Parts: sequence; C-alpha cells; structure tokens
Amino acid sequence: MSDIVRKVREQGQAAFARLGLPTTRLETWKYTDVKRAMAPFLERLAEAPAKPETLDTATIKALSIADLDAYRLILVDGRMVAEASDLPEGVHAESLAKLLAEHPEQGIEPLGMEEDAPLFNGFVALNAAHAQDGVGICIDDKIKLDKPLYILHICSGQVAHVCHGIHVGTQAEATVIEHYAGLDEATGFTNVVTQVRLMQAGHLRHIRLQQESGKQTHIGRVSVHQRRDSQYSSHSIALGAALSRVDIVTSLAEAGAACNLNGLYLTTGRQHADHHTVIDHKAPHCTSREMYRGVMDGRSRAVFNGRVVVGEGAIKTDSAQTNANLLLSATAEVDTKPELEIYNDDVKCAHGATIGQLDPNQLFYLKSRGLSEDEARQLLTFAFADEVLVSIDVPAVRRHIERAAFSKLPLGADISEVLA
Amino acid sequence: MLKIENLHASVDGKKILKGINLEIGSGEVHAIMGPNGSGKSTLSNIIAGRDGYEITQGSISYKGQDLLAMAPEERAWEGVFLAFQYPVEIPGVNNTYLLKAGVNAKRKHRGQEELDAMDFMQIVREKAKLVELDPSFLSRGVNEGFSGGEKKRNEIFQMAVLEPDLALLDETDSGLDIDALRIVAHGVNKLRSAERSIIMITHYQRLLDYIQPDVVHVLADGKILKTGDAKLALELEERGYDWVREEAAA
Repeated sequence: MSDIVRKVREQGQAAFARLGLPTTRLETWKYTDVKRAMAPFLERLAEAPAKPETLDTATIKALSIADLDAYRLILVDGRMVAEASDLPEGVHAESLAKLLAEHPEQGIEPLGMEEDAPLFNGFVALNAAHAQDGVGICIDDKIKLDKPLYILHICSGQVAHVCHGIHVGTQAEATVIEHYAGLDEATGFTNVVTQVRLMQAGHLRHIRLQQESGKQTHIGRVSVHQRRDSQYSSHSIALGAALSRVDIVTSLAEAGAACNLNGLYLTTGRQHADHHTVIDHKAPHCTSREMYRGVMDGRSRAVFNGRVVVGEGAIKTDSAQTNANLLLSATAEVDTKPELEIYNDDVKCAHGATIGQLDPNQLFYLKSRGLSEDEARQLLTFAFADEVLVSIDVPAVRRHIERAAFSKLPLGADISEVLA
Repeated sequence: MLKIENLHASVDGKKILKGINLEIGSGEVHAIMGPNGSGKSTLSNIIAGRDGYEITQGSISYKGQDLLAMAPEERAWEGVFLAFQYPVEIPGVNNTYLLKAGVNAKRKHRGQEELDAMDFMQIVREKAKLVELDPSFLSRGVNEGFSGGEKKRNEIFQMAVLEPDLALLDETDSGLDIDALRIVAHGVNKLRSAERSIIMITHYQRLLDYIQPDVVHVLADGKILKTGDAKLALELEERGYDWVREEAAA
C-alpha cells in the first residue's frame, strides 16, 4: 500500500472511531434509525471483504437492465468482476483497486474525504477506510460519450464498501448509470460513495437506481463539485432494500453551473427510504432544479430533506425545489423538510413540499370515461411517480424503472400502453 | 332517454338547483342556456356523477334506471358522457390508453369482447380526423400541454370514440376561436343520430348557429324558466335574460 493510500485509510478509521454509525440524536439522522438494519453487520464492518460470490451469466442478466446499449462494468460485493471493453478514445473506466495499486495518486481522489463537507457521517468515514474497489471514470476534455456507462453492482449478502470517481473534463459529456441490485433473500450491506467532478462546461447525466433485495441495507453518498457552466443532472431512484439512505451534495462552485436533481422513492411493506440533498450555491448565476417524489404504502416510511444554501456572493441564483408525496395507506409515513438558507437579496428561489392524496378532479375525469375507482387510483399513482422518470433520456432505463415501479404498484394493464 | 323531475341540489348547504324538470327523448338535441351562476354546470356535473353535490329532492331517470344511484363509471358504461368545461390535465397517462380502457370497460359491461390494440388504433385514427386532431396528440398525456381549443377538441374526439347515448357538452364553445368552433361543431353534428341525445350547455347563442338544437331551455336561479325552439336562443341573444326572469316572475 502506498503512503498516500495508507494515510487516507488511517484518516477514515480515525473519523469512524470518533463518529461511529449515525444515531437519531443527529439532526440529519433524526428519522432514520440504522441500529436494527446495521445490527447483522457490526462485526463485519471493518473486515477485509471476502472474495465476491461467483455469479453465473443468467443471474447477472436477470438483474441487469434489459436492451440497454451501454459500456458495462459489473461489480459483485464491492469487487469489479467485469471491466468495460471497447471504450472509445478519451474515455477511461477502470477498477479503483487497480488504480490504487498502479496509480495511487489518481485512485485516491474519489476515496479522499472532506470531513467538513455537508452531511459527512460515519458511513463515509467507513468507506474511506475500507472501500477496496469501485470504478474510476475519466472523460477527457471535449469527449462526448456515445452511449452510457453502466455500472451494475450486485450484492450477494456481504458487506460491500464501494467507491466511484467520475471526472468529466472540459466540455465533455457523459451518461453514467449506477445500478444497485441484490440476490433474492440476501442480507447485505452496501455502502457507496461516488465523487463527481465536472470541469468547465462539462455535462453529466447521472442515474442512480437502487433496486436491492428486500433485506438489504443501502447507504449511498454522491458528492458533486461543479466548475463554470457545468451541468449535473441526476435521477436518484429508490425502489429496493429494507433501509436505504442516499445523500446527494452538490457544490455549484463557479458561475453559470447548473444542477437538476430528480428523485423517486416507492416504499411498501416495512421499507424505509431516506433522501437528503444539499445544493450549495457558491457562485453567481447558477441554477438549481430539484424534484423529488415519493409514494408510500403499507407501514413504510420515507424521509426527504432538501437543503438549498445560497451564499453571499451567489447573486442571480435561480433555484426551485419541489417534493411531493402520496400516502397510499393510513399507516405509511413521510417526513419532508425543504430548507432554504439565503445570504443575499438578488435571488429567485422557490420551494415547496406536499403530502397528499390523489387529485379528485383527475379521479373524476378518469371515472367519467369509464375507469373504475381502483383503476383510476392506480393509474394516477403511477402517473404521479412517472413524472420523475420522463426526463430520463435513456429509454431502456426509463422502461426498466417503470416496469419495476409497476410491479410495486400493481395495475391490471400492459405498461407499454399506459404511458404517455 | 333522460327524465329529470323536481331536482333540488345544494353545495355546502347552498341551494343551487331549485326544482328542475326536464325530459329529453332519443336523438334530441337540447340547449340549456342561462346566465353565469344559474346552475348549468351543477346540472351537468350531477348527471355525470361528480361528488360534492347534495340532492335534497327529486330524481333523475336514465333509460328507465335511477341515475343518481349509479357510480360515475357505471354511468359511463351505460352511455353517459360529459365533455368537460375545464378538461383536466393528467400528465403521464396516455390519451389513447385512457380511451381504450374506457371503451373496453364499456364493452365488458355490455358482455362484448374487448377490442385489441390494432382494431382500437384504427377506430381512434378515424375519429381523430373528425375533429382534425393531430395524431401526435394520441400518444401524449391526457390534455397535457394542450391549448384551450385543443382540450375542447379532445373532448369531442373522446365523445366520438366512446359513442355515448347521452352526451353533455358543458360550455364546449368557451375559449374557442371561430375556426376551432367550426371544427368542433362539425364533429358534434357528425355525431348526431337518432339514438344519441345531446345536451349543450352554453352561455352564448354562437354555438347554436352551428349546431341546431331541437329544444332550448333557459336556466336561471336554479330553475328552468322557459322552454322553446331554436328561435328562443336568438331572442335571448338579442334581449338578454332579464325579460325571461321578469316573465317568469309575473
């Protein structure tokens, strides 16, 4: 292990020793108690990860997004098992383990942590201390990637600390899909950190799909650093896992940068899904858009906290945020909190959160055309969720998520006909 | 087809309809005119089955059945159709899907076989021509991003596909420019038949230049104050509504 890697590991260990796992005493973890979900893994948190489970092609295929034309990388239990082939000139996507061994100064970049960053917590420290692998992506200046990079991570029931780095060069453009899946009945813990760096006028479309199996715990953090005129567009979708928490922290560090954060969480049974986002407007003329939606059924619970900070120098900031929630059962719960902190006068900011039921006018309209009450409700619920997905411009991904969402919100119809 | 007897209705305790009597036979086209706030839209909403109205007295019988006892979707299956004054936007729900679900629910209710996608698309394309609706609208969300005129056209298009026995057109002419009005009226005229009754609710005589009613009613203050033929509409256009009120009060 090189010195710089050892240093980061030690820092991670020290920070974790100090912080431990977050508890509900912390304001940012008030509604998400990880104690029970983490209990099975406490003894294994710091163990060197075991060899990844060997999965056959059929299993991998069944968990993958179908009909997706993309550069594929596959990780199992936090370890790269299949690298991308045929990457075009100027596009690099390599195993982080390999980078750390061969070019530690590059590999260390995503692994390095900033302890004073917003929402920093013990999981991030754990990741820095123990993540062995992940994907280091670099899109060279002015390169426009012709098809998405698709990173499939499958958890077989182990503890996996995964770390990805995505560097998008000046005027470069790419779509990266992170897909988290799990084997049925697997009780695993996935802890992912993704560090994104967008150079001047770089553009990243980032889709993060969490579809782990029902007994898993999923913790994720995405930190984004945006330079001048860069664009970051994200879809963070939470469908699976018993407990999931995904934090997205984006820093609009230079003028003209724009981010567009979209999120969808669908929870049923006793699932718990938490999303925290922080959009930090540090420079003038930056734009942020955020739309998160949730549908909660059964005894499930969701949390949304969206903080927008507009700094003193961030004049002409244009920011809009919405969070809308549908509760389908009397025992489902959502805690939503948009937070706006503005430190200058020359801004345009709007935010709003709603928790509600379906629109009676829309319901009546559908029924007046002959749809039954149940059909009309299901259709509207699905359409509500789908509004987050319409802006995903990779059709195979959108259809995959819609199908998965559909199987959670059953509707007696053929999905391909229903959608606009 | 439709018989309304002594219908009284309130919203939040406020009396809106105060004894409506109305009978519409098969194939007849009736216009219900009246000033704002007279209860026109309330009447059409009650016929279509919208929640929020309390029926305090009276009855509505439709094809011999108690209409008020039926759920909105049952009314649709039995052939009642409301063209909305303000069609609702439903982003994400495909226009064509909605219609196919509606048509097939009705067919199922009547013991007919459901239409497959191919047959259905053929019907839909044909009917879209009737109101000159751009086929690209078919795959869009219900009324999503439609202009006011497009929404109204879409309502008449839906009517053409769903083939109702009783169609209520609630202020279908409002918000239409003259060209759109002509197209919509042409569509409605094409849909007139001996088996289909139509109730047009409107504020203005303009629509009636294009769709000739058999009977014209004046609804004001929650009551039908006067009933006549198409000439009555012209008289209203010229003289307003006050004389009808005065006549009724006398």
